[in-house]
Amino acid sequence: MSAFLQATVYGLLQGGLLALVAVGFSLVWGVMNVVNLAHGSFVIMGAYLGWELQVHAGIDPLLGMFAAAAVMFVLGYAIQRWLINLVVNAPIFITLLLTFGLSLLIVQGMNIIFSANYRSISTGYASTSLSMGSVRVPLGRLIAFGIAVLVTVALVALVNRTRIGLAILATGMDRGAARLMGIPARHVYSLTFGLSAALAAIAGTMVGTVDTFSPAAAGSFTLLSFVIAVLGGLGNMYGALLGGLLIGLVESWAGLYLSGTWVNAMAFLVLVVVLVVRPSGLVGRAYYAARVEV
Amino acid sequence: MSTVTEAEPSFDRQATGSRLDWQRMLPWGLLALLMAAMLGLQSQLYIGQERTVTAIFMFVALAQAWNVIGGFTGYACFGQVVFFGIGGYATAVTMVHWHLSFWLALPLSGVGAALFGAVIGLPLLRLKGHYFAIATLGVAEGMREVVTNVPALTGGGAGITVPTVGEDATTAYLGNDGFYLLFLGIAALSLVVALVISRNRFGFALRAIHQDEDAAGAMGINTTRAKVLAFSISGMLTGLVGACYAFQQVVIFPDRLFDVELTVLMVVMVVIGGSGTVLGPLLGAVGLQYLSEYLRHSYTEAHTFILGAIIIVAVVFLPQGFVNYVREARRSGDYSLLANVRRYRL
Repeated sequence: MSAFLQATVYGLLQGGLLALVAVGFSLVWGVMNVVNLAHGSFVIMGAYLGWELQVHAGIDPLLGMFAAAAVMFVLGYAIQRWLINLVVNAPIFITLLLTFGLSLLIVQGMNIIFSANYRSISTGYASTSLSMGSVRVPLGRLIAFGIAVLVTVALVALVNRTRIGLAILATGMDRGAARLMGIPARHVYSLTFGLSAALAAIAGTMVGTVDTFSPAAAGSFTLLSFVIAVLGGLGNMYGALLGGLLIGLVESWAGLYLSGTWVNAMAFLVLVVVLVVRPSGLVGRAYYAARVEV
Repeated sequence: MSTVTEAEPSFDRQATGSRLDWQRMLPWGLLALLMAAMLGLQSQLYIGQERTVTAIFMFVALAQAWNVIGGFTGYACFGQVVFFGIGGYATAVTMVHWHLSFWLALPLSGVGAALFGAVIGLPLLRLKGHYFAIATLGVAEGMREVVTNVPALTGGGAGITVPTVGEDATTAYLGNDGFYLLFLGIAALSLVVALVISRNRFGFALRAIHQDEDAAGAMGINTTRAKVLAFSISGMLTGLVGACYAFQQVVIFPDRLFDVELTVLMVVMVVIGGSGTVLGPLLGAVGLQYLSEYLRHSYTEAHTFILGAIIIVAVVFLPQGFVNYVREARRSGDYSLLANVRRYRL
């Protein structure tokens, strides 16, 4: 029983982190119908930025993540403005291929610059853990979880309460109408993509503090973001949080009861079942699932 | 994007019958000529070159297979490699456990992959756009784990060895020359299938589904049947390639046979060449595989970096693919690449 409880706590904490990884991906997909295959490489890039800041400038990752987010925001804005906007009206293969090419470029670039070795951002507190009864809670993961929830709530507030957020929502719902209302769609798309890259950087820094990372992990982060975004559903910012927590729990429980690498198959099993049974996800809006191309 | 020219009335066809026959026979003649050239080429190649050309044949077949579901039908299958893996493992497992000859295992693998395509196609082809892409990706990733986790049958992560040497050998190893011919045959088969589909009623049904699925249904096309059939054919071709690949590699691993990168390569080749055409994927596969081989030799460190950059540039400037670009440019007389970029930008 205590093993189950431990697995549940661990799964929830891991799920929060995964949600943070996926929330930016889900935002971009929902607003511009672009599946960003380079998202995982943004996460890893954020992790390296956090690592660099900690190693060379001695900045704690909890502060460094804001700097990493700022850098990635600018980069993401530029990528959308001068690259993805060029093909945003093309059939979906094109945006998929473009972002895949981007991810090849970034991952191999990081391999050349940082080598393929595993690294982690070491802090004094990340490895200590609190014990509550028979359950141990690693402090680093608890912090990451807290940040994931805070960031998601902040994102919802931004999108629903500010002018820029409403512009993002409006452009996502009907770009043509939004432009007629005077919303500069190119700028809004770029802002959205920059925001997503910044969120990926925050997630990456957190991943770096609680786990090891290398450029090769980019693909699996993209895949997990896929799964979580679909599971939670598009068009609702809390979807990614819910999907992340669920995937975290499923993987943690599967690790407890299943042998071998069956654990890795669980996420995809959940994905296929959700897609076939309820394509709009747990809390997503059906509109986004029915939409094929903008 | 592929536009269908209006069918000419029947009395017209009779008058211009000879021209139409000539046009209809041209691709077949070219294909036969190409095959003859490839057969003649074999004796001129060094061993290393022969291997490179064999790999190109393999990608020609894979790209053409993906073209059937992704190009003609317009369903972005991002898990195509699942058929490759299933074909390869079906061959290895039947040769090991049933002691089948490769020549029996090969068609069995094709049939197995086709059946698998039909079974997963029925639920998955109801999805559209990105959702279909991701669901198929999920199937491929999940299948890799399944294969990894039944070691009694598949050897698990440690791999499985195709019995081709020693006492247990069911079929002798073909050697470089043999595999050149085998993959040439598979490439020819895939080209023939694509040519037939591109010109018959079924192919036009697929194109109609690509352009507007609801309208296609309203015109009396059984869209579910057409889509599932296309998926099965595509899966069968991919499975056959996987079977040949497993035999060629002798030892196969789940991580290699279910490698997402293979799917992506197929997609890149088809899209850059021109999806929905027969010539496009052929050119895309030959060009990209040759280029990638060249980069691997010349810039070992940075070759994926350069490949990524090439994909980005190609996709921005030729979003409709090379063959479709040339066709449209010839029709309109406008060869400007910038006009091309302007079309899809925001």
